[in-house]
Amino acid sequence: MSTAAPAAQEPRSSGAGRVTFARVLRSEMIKTATVPSTVILLAVSFAVMVGLGALVAWGTVQLVNDPAAGPPGGLGASAQSLAYDIPASGLPFGQLLIAALAVVLIGSEYTTGMIRSTMVAVPTRTPALLAKTLVTAVISFILGVLAAFATYLAAQPILSGSDLDFGLDADGVLPSIINTGTVLALIAVMGVAIGALLRSTAGGVVTLVGALFVLPIITGLLSGLADWVVDAERFLPSSASAALVATRVQPEAFNQAEGGLILAGWAVVLLAAAVVVIKKRDV
Amino acid sequence: MIEAHELTKRFGDKTAVDGLTFTVPPGKVTGFLGPNGAGKSTTMRMIVGLDHPTGGTVIVNGKPYAGHRSPLHEVGALLEAKAVHPKRTAYNHLRALAATEGIPPARVNEVIELTGLGSAARKKVGGYSLGMGQRLGIAVALLGDPHTLILDEPVNGLDPEGVKWVRFLARGLAAEGRTVFISSHLMSEMAVTADHLIVIGRGRILADAPIGEVLAGSQQERVLVRTDDAGALAAALGSPGVEVRRQEADQLEILGLSTRSIAEAAFSRGLLITELTPQQVSLEDAYMELTGGEVEYRSQHMSAPAGSAPDEEGRQP
Repeated sequence: MSTAAPAAQEPRSSGAGRVTFARVLRSEMIKTATVPSTVILLAVSFAVMVGLGALVAWGTVQLVNDPAAGPPGGLGASAQSLAYDIPASGLPFGQLLIAALAVVLIGSEYTTGMIRSTMVAVPTRTPALLAKTLVTAVISFILGVLAAFATYLAAQPILSGSDLDFGLDADGVLPSIINTGTVLALIAVMGVAIGALLRSTAGGVVTLVGALFVLPIITGLLSGLADWVVDAERFLPSSASAALVATRVQPEAFNQAEGGLILAGWAVVLLAAAVVVIKKRDV
Repeated sequence: MIEAHELTKRFGDKTAVDGLTFTVPPGKVTGFLGPNGAGKSTTMRMIVGLDHPTGGTVIVNGKPYAGHRSPLHEVGALLEAKAVHPKRTAYNHLRALAATEGIPPARVNEVIELTGLGSAARKKVGGYSLGMGQRLGIAVALLGDPHTLILDEPVNGLDPEGVKWVRFLARGLAAEGRTVFISSHLMSEMAVTADHLIVIGRGRILADAPIGEVLAGSQQERVLVRTDDAGALAAALGSPGVEVRRQEADQLEILGLSTRSIAEAAFSRGLLITELTPQQVSLEDAYMELTGGEVEYRSQHMSAPAGSAPDEEGRQP
């Protein structure tokens, strides 16, 4: 510098404050609410989950009414416990759609360049990722609980004709409804983490759908080859989420709490990896 | 105030920014000039922490950018137009970014008016023209009422009225005592906007001086001479530090001598001079001279130096 800089008399204005996690959270809520894809995917997820649940209820009634369709000797008492699983029965497809939503919410930031605006505003980066994860997880949890409860309500008139209707206080039903939300919340965490790791909407959706749907098919095909495949299969996200929403523990399967811990483990490991990578990487 | 020290960025085996040391002081407009691919954008991305330097440091207002508690209040950056989700409206984009620091909605409306976005702010950004996208980018930069502004090619895609507006805005912000750092590949634009120039080429600093000095110091005096006996005059003028170029049979271009010395030399030898014209050094000439060897992308007919395969700088969109 050849010339001395004039005494820095920089203007300080009021109004602008510090970046806090609550503020970043609010920013992420605004971002989530102001793109149409969020609303569309949530509405579709709700409709698909409730619709699928009603279909399962109808199928259960058909099974009970048609002795030829069920196992020899009829379903008997197990028909009722089968019905208890109906509120959470939309979950397989709900998982798929919420996984897509979560990946899209972060993946679109990378594909549109929005991520650069985000990371200039929140240069420490981690709060922005965690806030987005939290917002997506909470939305998914609420959607899951509402969809499972709506499925429960929609199923009762269908089931009542065969005396299979039940109250919310029936064995394991209320936890199953609430855990439908838990599963979707944890899947959403995995989705955001994978989206951040891969920086791509398409790649993230394919990866997560692969993990949720294709892996169980592969382990199913290979299960005859070795015992460890069967053991490993129980640790897959899809098996863990099935265990978490089950109204009764299946033989050879983990119980609800174990299923929840395994799924949470997947979510935490992926999120931790995303936090580490996002901090180091150029955007 | 922006202070870079030995700032370096390599992408693989390609060095985009090569040991830049410079200071951008408050209270004036500093132009950051260089051909495409010279490393301007990469340098600016490192200032706001989007790219991590391979070596060296850069601090803004005394701290690394990420160390500030109110980053948008410290630095307003326009790094590329449309770092925005296309399905979101400009208003919601600004609102979401403002929320990170609790900037009130009144300020969002203020920057919308200030940048002339007006009613378009309620429309989705995907439908914006390049110029409107730039205005939104500038609105984002101004959102936090920052001490330091970093604008990467802000006049790209703007109409003449918009170009003028950016010029006045930059000068006004600097006059308020803010640090204003503007990149451009257009010398002409910098000539009317900037007080000080940092010129880079291939990631290295070529000049760092007040704009007048870049003009004056970048090139020796150049004089066009027309004479009946060009050969004799050329011989008479030949001396160390002087360059004589024969342009036409009766025309010479002389570098390194004043018009008076040339006239005296001709007079003493009895040579008739029919024209003696000092050449105006344009900013464009000065720029070309500075960046002559440093241009990475060259038009075909200018024959690139061997071995310099043109490849992308970083991830320029």
